Amino acid sequence: MKNQPPNLYPPSLAIRLLRWFCEPALLEDVEGDLEELFSNRLKNGRRRAKWLFYWDVLLLFRPGIIREIRIFKGQTNHIMFKNYIKIAWRNAMRYKGYTALNLLGLIVGMASSILILLWVQDERNVNAFHTNGDQIYQVFRNMRQSNGQVNTGTSIPKPLGDLVKSEYTEVAEVAWLSWSLPMDIARDNQAIEESGRFASPEVLTMFSFELLLGDSQTALNSPSGLLISERVAEKHFGPNWRNEAMGQVFKVEEQFDVQVTGVFRSPGTESTLDFEWLLPAQAYFAANPWVEDWGNGAFETYLLIPDTDKVQAVADKIRMEIKKHTQGNPNAGDEELIIHRFSDTYLYSAFDNGVVSGGRIEYVRIMTIVAIFILLVACINFMNLTTARSSRRSKEIGLRKVMGAARKSIRTQFYLEAFLLAGCAVAVSAVVVAFLLPLFNELVGKSLVLNFEAPETWFFLMGLIFGVGLLSGTYPALLLPTFNVIQSMKGGVVKQSGFASYFRKGLVVFQFAISTLLIIGTTVIYRQIDFVLNKDLGLNKDNLLAVSLEGDLASRLETYKNELLRLPQVTHVSGASGNPLNYGRSTSSANWEGKNPNEGYEVNVMLTDEHFIETTGMEILAGRSFSSQLQDSTNFIINEVAAELMGFEDPIGKKLSFWGIDGKIVGVVKNFHMRDLYEPIAPLIITCISPSNSSIVLIRTNENTSDALAAIEQVTQSLNPGEDFRYQFIDQAYAESYEAEQTMRTLANLFALVSIVISTLGLLGLASYSAEQRSKEIGVRKVHGASVIQVLLLLSKDYGKLILMAFVLAVPFGYYFMQNWLNQFEFREALNPVVFLFAGVIVMSIGVLTVAAKSYQAASVNPVKSLKEE
Amino acid sequence: MGKYSIGEFEEVLLLTVAILYDNAYGISIKEEIEDRLNRKVSVGAMRTALSRLEKKGFLQSEFGEATAIRGGKRKRFYKVTPYGKKALEEVMENRKKLWEAIPSVAFDFKAL
Repeated sequence: MKNQPPNLYPPSLAIRLLRWFCEPALLEDVEGDLEELFSNRLKNGRRRAKWLFYWDVLLLFRPGIIREIRIFKGQTNHIMFKNYIKIAWRNAMRYKGYTALNLLGLIVGMASSILILLWVQDERNVNAFHTNGDQIYQVFRNMRQSNGQVNTGTSIPKPLGDLVKSEYTEVAEVAWLSWSLPMDIARDNQAIEESGRFASPEVLTMFSFELLLGDSQTALNSPSGLLISERVAEKHFGPNWRNEAMGQVFKVEEQFDVQVTGVFRSPGTESTLDFEWLLPAQAYFAANPWVEDWGNGAFETYLLIPDTDKVQAVADKIRMEIKKHTQGNPNAGDEELIIHRFSDTYLYSAFDNGVVSGGRIEYVRIMTIVAIFILLVACINFMNLTTARSSRRSKEIGLRKVMGAARKSIRTQFYLEAFLLAGCAVAVSAVVVAFLLPLFNELVGKSLVLNFEAPETWFFLMGLIFGVGLLSGTYPALLLPTFNVIQSMKGGVVKQSGFASYFRKGLVVFQFAISTLLIIGTTVIYRQIDFVLNKDLGLNKDNLLAVSLEGDLASRLETYKNELLRLPQVTHVSGASGNPLNYGRSTSSANWEGKNPNEGYEVNVMLTDEHFIETTGMEILAGRSFSSQLQDSTNFIINEVAAELMGFEDPIGKKLSFWGIDGKIVGVVKNFHMRDLYEPIAPLIITCISPSNSSIVLIRTNENTSDALAAIEQVTQSLNPGEDFRYQFIDQAYAESYEAEQTMRTLANLFALVSIVISTLGLLGLASYSAEQRSKEIGVRKVHGASVIQVLLLLSKDYGKLILMAFVLAVPFGYYFMQNWLNQFEFREALNPVVFLFAGVIVMSIGVLTVAAKSYQAASVNPVKSLKEE
Repeated sequence: MGKYSIGEFEEVLLLTVAILYDNAYGISIKEEIEDRLNRKVSVGAMRTALSRLEKKGFLQSEFGEATAIRGGKRKRFYKVTPYGKKALEEVMENRKKLWEAIPSVAFDFKAL
C-alpha cells in the first residue's frame, strides 16, 4: 500500500466515519473489503471509485453494523470524581470568605427568583382549574362613543344567549352568570349578607366548580333552588353541615323562600368568578322582564365552543347581532360583540379601543424578566469570582496536566464544582424560600406554597441547578484548562489573556447595567404610584366616609342626615348614588341644546342631594352649587368634560334633559376622577332630583376619624336596628383599588435591592482580589512615597469607569421600557431625568464605596508586610 | 418454511458461500453473485446478512492471511455449517414439494 501514490488511498474521511460507527469486531474485514473493492474500482476512474466508497460506507450505516452505544466505554474515570469533590471541598474551606461570598450571591439570587417565579406561576394558574377552560369564551360588547372612544363591557342582552343556543351549531352550551350581588340569606331569622350570583344550570357543567353536596347536573334546575358555599354552610349549620344543609329552607332578601340543593367549595383566589351563593338565573329572569329586551345589558354570557377551529366563525357571526336586533330603536348604540377566551380573561383584561391590550400579563412579564435578570446577575458573580481567582488554582491545574489530565477532564472538574455549588445554593435557597414564604405571601396577598411533594417542584429545582451550573460553570470550565503548563507550574500569577479580562469587565458592566435598570424601573413605578395616590382628584378624599344605606334607611334619609349632623365630629352629610371615585352609572338618553341627534354619547349621572358639592369638597368653576333654598330639583351641575362635549361656551342656563327629565344647567364642577387613572375622565351630570334614590351617604368628619366612626355607627344602628353597618373610607378604598400596583411597587423595590446586593457582593469579591494581586505593586508605590489616597484612587478608578459605562448603557433601555409602562396611564408623571440621575448616583456610590473600602484596606497595609516575602 | 427461517437473499448468500467453498469472503461473494445472478449487491446489505446468518448458526467464519491489496487487513472467510446445509436442503425440499403439487394445466397457458 505504501508504494501507491497517495491520492489512490480511499477517502480518509469515509474511513474515519466507518471506524467511528462500525462494530469493532466487524471493522477489520469490512474495511478490508471496502479497500479491496476500492482498488478494483480504481480501473474505472479514481473519482468514481471514491464516490462509490463513500456510498458503500453510508450504506453500511445500518443496524447490525453500527456498534452498541456505550456511554462509559471500557475504562472509566469515576474514581476521579471523588478526587474532584474532595478538592472542591478543600478549596471551599481554604477560602471561606470567598466561598461564602459566592454562595451568598447565588442563594440570594436563587431564592428571589424562586419567589418571583412562584408568584408568576400562581398568576398563570388563575382560572386554570376549569377542565374546559380553553373552550369557554366570554362575550364582551364594545360600545362606540361618538367621541371615538370604545367602552368594553360584560353585561350582555339576554336574548343573545337564547339566539346562540338555538341557532349556533358551533356552540355546545350557553351559560348566564350575573354580576356579584350582596344579598341577605336568612334562616331562622338569622340573616347573613353574602355576595353571590345568579347562574343558569349550565354554569355548573361548563365550569369546574366543585360541588361537595348535590348534583351539578340538576342543582340549579329548580327555580327555587339555592347553592351555598362551604363557608356559608358552616356558618349556618356548624361543623355538621354535611348532614344538615341539604333541603333546608332559606329566605332571600326577606322576600322569597328557596331550598338548598347543593353546597360548593368556595372558589378561592385561583378563580376570578367569586360567589358565596348561587341562585337560579331563571328566577331572576322571571322577576325582571326587562332582561328579555335586546336593548338592555343583562348577565355575563359564556359560550362553550368545543371545536377551536370554529371559534373564528362564531366570532364573525356574533359581531353584529346586537346591532341587527336593535335596528330602528332610537336608543340603540353603535356596538359590536366580541368573544374572548375565558382562561385569558384574568391576565388579558385591559381593553383599549375594544381590543385586548394587556392587563396583568404585563406585570407577569415584568416579573419574569426580573427573575431572569436576578439569576443572571448571580451567575455572572459566580463566573467572575471563579475566573478572577483562577490563578490560585493554576498550580493545581498545571500539576494535573503534568500527571496526564486532558483538557476534557479539567473541564469536567470545573463543571462539577459549578454544579456542586449550584446544588448547595439551590438546597439552601429552597429552605430560605420555605421560611420567607409566609412573609412574601403577606406582601403580595397570595397563599403561595413550595410544594415538595409535587414532581414539578423537583423538576424545577433540578432545572435550576442545571441551568445555573451550566451558565456559571461554562466560562471557567472553558478558560481554565487552556492554562499553559509551564507557566502555571512556575507559580505566581498566570497572565490571563486580554479577552478574559475584557470579558470579565464586560460582565461587571452588564451586571451593573441590570441593577441600574431595575433601580430606574423601581423609581419610576414608585413615583407614578405616589402620583396616583396623592393626585388632586378633584375632591377632598381625606376624612370622607361612605356609609351604605341598608334596609329602608334611604327613605328616611332626611332624618338620618339630621341625626348625623348633630354629631360634633360630622361637618357635612350628603346622599349619593355611589362612591364618586369609583362611579359608572350612565345613560345614553341625554339631550341638550344644539346636540346633533345622530350622535350618541354615554353620559354618567350622579344622583345626590343639595349638599353633595360641599360635602365632597369639589370646586365649582362656573355658576353655582345646589342650594336648599332654591328649587333645584330640575337643575343640573355638569363637569368640565361634559361641558366640552356639549360644546357650550357658557353652559350656565342651557337646557339639558335625560331620563325624560327636562332641566337646565346651573353650574360646572371641576373634573374629578370617577374611574382609575388608566382612563380618561368621563362626562357627568350631577342631579339632586331624588335624594331618596341614594345608595350611600357621604359624611365629612373632622380629623378624629375613629371617634367619628364610632359615633356614626351608633346613630346608624339606633335608626336602623338589625341591619349591618357597612362603610368605607373613600381614601382607603381608593388606595385599595391600586393594590396590584402597590404590590408591584413593593416587589420592584425589593428586587432592585436584591440585584444591587448581589452585584455589590460580586464587586466586593473582585475588588478584594485585585487589591490582593497588586499588593506588591502597592507596597512598592508606597515605599516610593505614594499616599494612601493616591493608591485608593488607582485601585478604584478602573471599577468606577465600569460602573459609569453600565449607567450609560442602562439609561436608554430604562427610558424606553418605563415610557412604555407609563403610557398606559391616562394621567401620569412625566419621566424625570432626575430619576436616572438618582439611579446612577445610587449604583455609583454603592459600587465605589465597596471598591474604596476594599482598596483602603489594601492601601493602608504596611509595605513591609507585602514586600518582605518573595 | 419449517423451523429454518431464511430469506431469499440469505439463501442466495448461503448457496454462493457453498459454491466458493474455501474462497468465500466479502468481495468474492459479492462478485460471484453479481456474475452468476446478474444483480447488484451492496456491501452494506451483504455484510448485515452475513453477520445475521452467522448469528443464526448457518455460517461460521475465520480470519485468513493479510494481503497488501486490502491495506493489510485480513479477510474473513465464511463456511456453511451442517446446520446451514440442513436449512438449505429444507428450503429446496419445500420448493420441490410445491413444484410437484402444481397441476400440469396450471402452466398450460395455451389453453387460455
